[in-house]
Amino acid sequence: MAQEKEGIEGQIPFTQAPDAGAEGEPEAWGERTRVVGERHPRVDGYERVSGAAVFPSDVVLPGMVYGAMLGSPHANARVKSIDTSAAEGMAGVYAVISRNTGDANPAWSYGGGHQGRLFEDHCRFEGEAVAAVAADTPYRAADALRAIVVEYEELPFVSDVAHALDEDAPGVHADGNLAGESEDGRGDVEQGFAAADVVLERNFRVGSQMQTPLEPHGCVASWDGDRLTVWESTQGVFAIQGELAEVLDMPLARVRVIGHYVGGAFGSKLRTDKYAVAAALMARRINRPVKLFLTREQTLLTQGNRPATLMTLKVGAKKDGTLTAIHFEGTGASGAYKAGGTSLLDWIAKDLYRCPNVRTHLKDVYINAQPARPFRAPGYVQGSWAMDQMMDELAAELAMDPVALRLKNIPDGSQARDDKPYTTDGLRRCIEEGAAAFGWQQARAAGKGKGVAGKGEGHVRRGVGMAAANWYVGDGGPPATVILRLYVDGTANLNMGASDIGTGTKTVMAMVVAEEFGMDPDAIQVEHADTATTQFATPSGGSKTVPTEAPTVRRACLAVKDQLMDMAATQLGRPRQEIRFAGDRLETTDGLETVAITDLDALKNQKVVVGIGERQPNPDDVSITPFAAQFCEVEVNTGTGEVRLLRMVGTNESGRVINRLTWDGQLVGGVTMGAGFAQTESRVLDGPTGKLCNKSWHDYKLPTALDVPDEVVSAPVMLNDEEANIVGAKGLGEPVTIPTGAAIANAVYDAVGVRMLDTPINPETLVARIDLQEGPQ
Amino acid sequence: MTTPFSYVRPRSVADVISSLEAEGATIHAGGTDLLGCLRDGVYAVDTVVSLGDVEGLAGVRELKDGGLAVGAMTTITDLAGHATVAGRYPGLAQAAAAVASPQLRHQGTVGGNLCQKPRCWYYRGDFPCLRKGGYKCFAVNGENQHHAILGGAQCFIVHPSDLAPALMALDAAAIIDGPAGTRRVAVADLHVAPAEDPTRETVLEPGEVITEVRIPAPPAGLYNSYRKIRTRRSWDFAIAGCALALTLDGDTVRQARVVLAAAAPVPWRSTAAEDVLRGNPLDDAHIRDAAETAMADAVPMTHNAYKVPLFKGMLIEELAKARPR
Repeated sequence: MAQEKEGIEGQIPFTQAPDAGAEGEPEAWGERTRVVGERHPRVDGYERVSGAAVFPSDVVLPGMVYGAMLGSPHANARVKSIDTSAAEGMAGVYAVISRNTGDANPAWSYGGGHQGRLFEDHCRFEGEAVAAVAADTPYRAADALRAIVVEYEELPFVSDVAHALDEDAPGVHADGNLAGESEDGRGDVEQGFAAADVVLERNFRVGSQMQTPLEPHGCVASWDGDRLTVWESTQGVFAIQGELAEVLDMPLARVRVIGHYVGGAFGSKLRTDKYAVAAALMARRINRPVKLFLTREQTLLTQGNRPATLMTLKVGAKKDGTLTAIHFEGTGASGAYKAGGTSLLDWIAKDLYRCPNVRTHLKDVYINAQPARPFRAPGYVQGSWAMDQMMDELAAELAMDPVALRLKNIPDGSQARDDKPYTTDGLRRCIEEGAAAFGWQQARAAGKGKGVAGKGEGHVRRGVGMAAANWYVGDGGPPATVILRLYVDGTANLNMGASDIGTGTKTVMAMVVAEEFGMDPDAIQVEHADTATTQFATPSGGSKTVPTEAPTVRRACLAVKDQLMDMAATQLGRPRQEIRFAGDRLETTDGLETVAITDLDALKNQKVVVGIGERQPNPDDVSITPFAAQFCEVEVNTGTGEVRLLRMVGTNESGRVINRLTWDGQLVGGVTMGAGFAQTESRVLDGPTGKLCNKSWHDYKLPTALDVPDEVVSAPVMLNDEEANIVGAKGLGEPVTIPTGAAIANAVYDAVGVRMLDTPINPETLVARIDLQEGPQ
Repeated sequence: MTTPFSYVRPRSVADVISSLEAEGATIHAGGTDLLGCLRDGVYAVDTVVSLGDVEGLAGVRELKDGGLAVGAMTTITDLAGHATVAGRYPGLAQAAAAVASPQLRHQGTVGGNLCQKPRCWYYRGDFPCLRKGGYKCFAVNGENQHHAILGGAQCFIVHPSDLAPALMALDAAAIIDGPAGTRRVAVADLHVAPAEDPTRETVLEPGEVITEVRIPAPPAGLYNSYRKIRTRRSWDFAIAGCALALTLDGDTVRQARVVLAAAAPVPWRSTAAEDVLRGNPLDDAHIRDAAETAMADAVPMTHNAYKVPLFKGMLIEELAKARPR
């Protein structure tokens, strides 16, 4: 039964959603939905497109001044002295803080046991904070930074992941450069390799990819007495609230974080950084709001990356393609502080394809560069680059079709989770349905290594490639709370703390409400991402926002509907069990009587019905996992090494498609980002100085809209994962980018017979391969 | 962000020249790179002299000898889309279309493109490099993957212009106005090699401004093309490029100009490759020989050896396209 709380006079009664188990799970939506599954434009589309949306970087407050951060220009240096007197004396400069301002240099930790300060004496990476200023204009703030005189003692550094563990490598920390080490496995790999007919071993290297969201990292900090409000470009306002309260030693209740819009994040805005602390401290000192957004160069220097990674992969298989053993060794660079340099790196190797004998060994190392941050499918993108290229090579070695080889090795459950069964056959369906949508058989037969007519003397060749993936999370889970207020006019407020990081979260949630009440999604106003006024949510990351929040939203809807049923039963004079919903009306089960929600007398009297949804735990006997496969065709110029991505088919099984538009948008974005990883994006640190060379959008080459292939086809597996949760949806945002890199590399191999084990694949790296002009074997 | 400067908008070339004579004066033409350079502290200015209000500096006009004059303030977009240009000098139109992005082509100018500052990440970054008056070229022992394989000395930038190689192949000349009057400088002589002076890109003296580029009439049988290879296909500076101006008589090359982009600190004319082609049929053997010869003197640095096969592959492809069909 619903737990009904009796309303005392003047108080609005509310109902919690029915407990799972008490009344059983609510009925699934099934195949026939009215709003869910459709293509619905963003509920905030007008605001976004017109510029009316207020992003944190748009916030302007009365009396506000502009902050800026000074970073060390060296890969590794000790700060000998700081002279801020000239900056402090400049007209329009309100605040200068550094290690010299003891009351504005709180303890700060990058995590992993690190205990440091906001402004360190020892700056272990280029860009590490040395001082901050606030001035009346951004230009004056920049001038003030230049007026600060810092004397550094430059120290030896190590910037290459491959040399971090060399005996003579300078230690980033006193206890050496091994930040962490782990092993995992199952079965007996020696026996597995002994039983194999074919054993392959390859070394792979992926460069560091940087997030570079359009809106730089930053915030506006404002004090009202002892209460701090921060507008931050973030993936999770409550995470930022917690961090700031801890660093500033404040009660959580006095820290308010607002992040209504976010101009991109990709994992780099799950946490805040020193800029927000500096902004808050300066704002308090001068009693004015401080806006502090980093420059593009600073975001590239300090705000996250996918770690540069070395991988050695050895795989054994029987003649029929059955995998017998996998041995994976990975070394990834956390950066100057422990930051997940090998986070999830071995999961593709140990979980994706069925194999009884697996051993993995990971080494996380320190280098003198900014700490890594989770970047869209951390670990998985790197691991897929190795594993799915290896599967391709294995297929060639066994004279098998790459699709057939993968289908031969589909596990029933998550092998890295004690074979906990999957809720769906998603991997097989992604591969089979993707291959069909792409026309894999025909394309392979037609395209392989053939010259392209009209493209010169047969030196431009086509090839096709594919790769598959699953994703670590994407199941979502507690905690999450959502409150829905249904008004007397039939519109609703949805109150949910989660951030919409540009993925369409607000729209998806409005569609869930619309589905339940027969409304137009635009009738729902979503209030979100404000720690003071919206419900607690974990950050939007890990592809878990939809599977976490959407079931919670549905529960809030059911709580409201529960009350409306009572109202209708009373009004129609029928027992409650004879009342059911029909769109935006309630009717008797015999169909004889009906009343619109907005005609319910009780609703007219109390003006509003409030429902609370709580995210219930996932079933613990299954593995709720999203799956993906991608198929692409490329054109390779054997004279110049130019690679053109011609078309891509992306198949995802992430359970129910709630909004087909945002689903397809995720795929196009994921493919584009994956193509950047594979072809153009790689951090370059100067050998002699360790400084970042490509710290602009000219030198760090993101794919642009013009680089997106003409044909990107999104072909979702149409499947509702009813076991996963009460909306049947799983996460999508990361699986869409995992297989792209390996699919492109495999297509390049198909076209020209050159196996590219390192990223990026572009004319610089490909033309240098002496075997290129010899063509496919 | 930058030191204060004054901004003037003269209305005549004469006033431009007198404004430019001041110490620390620089020209604002399309302005696609000026603010970026100032913000990054690449160079400092006291006076920014806009060409925006000067009449008559934009547009393409016919010359009596059958050539074309292109005003220095003509936008790259206008050059790329000009029917006469595309008809007579297809390689120049191709080069213009290959410049940067649509937005930058709308804003960028022909004169500005010829006078570009290098894109070297040491020059642009906070490194005290030779070209900025510092003490060494950081590319020599550093990340030189995009640097010169030909013509480097002291400094190893590559010249970033797409138009300069194309104009050089067409034997075009820049008309330069200055305090001492007007002079005509072949585009081939416009840029300064670092062996001569690593701190300047062009021969322009203080007070001088390019007002026009003149292209001679196309010779009969002209085959003209421009090819650009980029790391990012859609929008990037060249990692290799070539402008070809061949005069063909049937299958035989009568005259040849082969100018390489992104190979050297200045647009790089490969006279040795031209010698291989001139007087010979455009067959596979001569094409390969020309490509090899163009790279014969290449001296790769530690990270840019790929440019040698890249230039060869590109030249073979482009020369093969020039064959009469």
